[in-house]
Amino acid sequence: MIYDEPRFLLAGDRYLLIEFGNTMLLDLNFLAQGLAKKLEEEPVKGVIETAPCFASMLVHYDPESVSFEYLVAALREVAGSLGSPSNITVPSRLFYLPAMYFDPWTEECVADYCKKIALKEKDPEVVMRANGLSSREELLRVHSGTEYWVASLGFWPGLPFLKALDPRSTLNAPKYNPPRTNTPAGSIGLGGGANSIYPVATPGGYQIFARTPVPIWDPKQRFDVFEHSICLFRPGDRIKFMPCSRQEFEDVERRVEDGSYVFNVVEYGQFSVSQYNAWVASIDAEARF
Amino acid sequence: MIEVIKPGLETCIQDWPGRIGYLNQGFPPSGPMDSWSFRLANLLVGNQVGDAAIECQYVGPVLKFHADAIIAVTGANMHPTLDGEAVPLWESIAVSAGATLTLSKPPQAGVRTYVAISGGIDVDPWLNSRSTFAKAKVGGVNGRALRAGDRFKWHAGKGMAGRRVKPSARPPVEGGSPWTIEVVRGPNDDWIDEAGHDRFLSSDWKLSGKSDRTGFRLEGPQWTFTEKAYNKAPEHGSVPSNIVDQGYPIGAINLAGQTPIILVNDGPSMGGFINPYTVPSAAFWKLGQSRPGEIYRFKTVSVDEAQQMARALTVICQEDSIA
Repeated sequence: MIYDEPRFLLAGDRYLLIEFGNTMLLDLNFLAQGLAKKLEEEPVKGVIETAPCFASMLVHYDPESVSFEYLVAALREVAGSLGSPSNITVPSRLFYLPAMYFDPWTEECVADYCKKIALKEKDPEVVMRANGLSSREELLRVHSGTEYWVASLGFWPGLPFLKALDPRSTLNAPKYNPPRTNTPAGSIGLGGGANSIYPVATPGGYQIFARTPVPIWDPKQRFDVFEHSICLFRPGDRIKFMPCSRQEFEDVERRVEDGSYVFNVVEYGQFSVSQYNAWVASIDAEARF
Repeated sequence: MIEVIKPGLETCIQDWPGRIGYLNQGFPPSGPMDSWSFRLANLLVGNQVGDAAIECQYVGPVLKFHADAIIAVTGANMHPTLDGEAVPLWESIAVSAGATLTLSKPPQAGVRTYVAISGGIDVDPWLNSRSTFAKAKVGGVNGRALRAGDRFKWHAGKGMAGRRVKPSARPPVEGGSPWTIEVVRGPNDDWIDEAGHDRFLSSDWKLSGKSDRTGFRLEGPQWTFTEKAYNKAPEHGSVPSNIVDQGYPIGAINLAGQTPIILVNDGPSMGGFINPYTVPSAAFWKLGQSRPGEIYRFKTVSVDEAQQMARALTVICQEDSIA
């Protein structure tokens, strides 16, 4: 739900967290991204940087130039001036990413976790059981049957937080407890209702069950798509996973290595929140493909 | 030119406050773990307090200087020697071309030692910072900890030998365990019940060996939660500490399942676990100087007190502290 008034939460001596609501409703992400954009256009004294996410935004501020109370009052005013997100239309790129589901690398990583940290059910089966899916084939069909919305970048440089745009593909999964100390680069994971792609080998807490060979961050900027940013995605992009075989995976991997890989991205799209919300309201969101 | 003869354990280049301005792309700030000792080292050699310098931990490096330099060593005592002769900490010293600085004796107490060079280290900044973020392979020298054979330069400086930090201005890095670590409540403190808060604040927490510059894992009692942690939309995740992914402040006490992890300088900027408390910036030096097995006791402070502590530290890291 969307709160009537955003909540301003203490986060140490130089951060605060603004919470707009407590779900993954797309409107909340538009509120968070909208506030971040507004603060870039019309800076508020003391704000150093922000990190908007699904339903909230972290603010890094300078306590030497503003007090917590002053900043909360200033941010409350800016947040109050944002119009309804339902009128927004934004340009939205669509990335097609090859993905090998139930790949040997994530399976090996989970087996290693079971050996060294804690015994657990295999990740695809955790996701199947949590969502009433009967087979890995059904999981693949449901998971790859939607576009994903890039709600924000965080956790790690370039890592996208993704929301399944088609409610019929919405899946939920418990997060690891305790987290993994490692995850293969390119792993695709699900934790709570959020999906993600791990840009490099990092610790992680999402259930992992697929992997893409396409790099999503590139500090050396070898490919043209990284010309303006070392991170492939920006908030408001969409991603479609294209299930592929191990042979295709390795073929793409080779082309990435030798620099001949062509990123599959289309840039003509627009995303309208009102059209999206109207479409969601028109379908049976409980159905599965 | 400095030549790395022995690298030590993950010795790296950092600047302060680190890589700021890229949080919304997922970059942590990095920077020195004990910015108190770090800033004093720079101050001693006439630098800006944030200039790039060397962070050593547990086992320091052996460095050969190929030109005259003014340097200072601060933080944990690794019993530094210059061509075999003991040199003092907390004091600027002259190094002659050809001399070798050795920091290879593990400290008895404390963990991190800083070496500043007058002028500041001259490696290419990346996203406006020279701080090494080794896990992402960026910053510092080739995006990694120092290796034997690495060579790097420093800028021309105006430092002088014989400047000393007054004893009262030095962090008590050897104070040791149990450490009292200040915390500010929030942002997600309303997910923990009163018994859980009492247990957190009254228990001894042991720093786990599975700790690094991304996070400090703590071992201690179980956490208990309020209704909010159980009655929530399914997209939060099913474990009580799961929340819809959100921005993480540096210093967050991040509750991954039942394991609290203090997110430190190279930590994740976002994620799906609650943060019931946040360690304020002025307490970070204690994290940087504590070692696995040592005990933390947490003490709440208000946001005003936390900001006052940071202000006090800024004052200490100024010229008046130099004798």
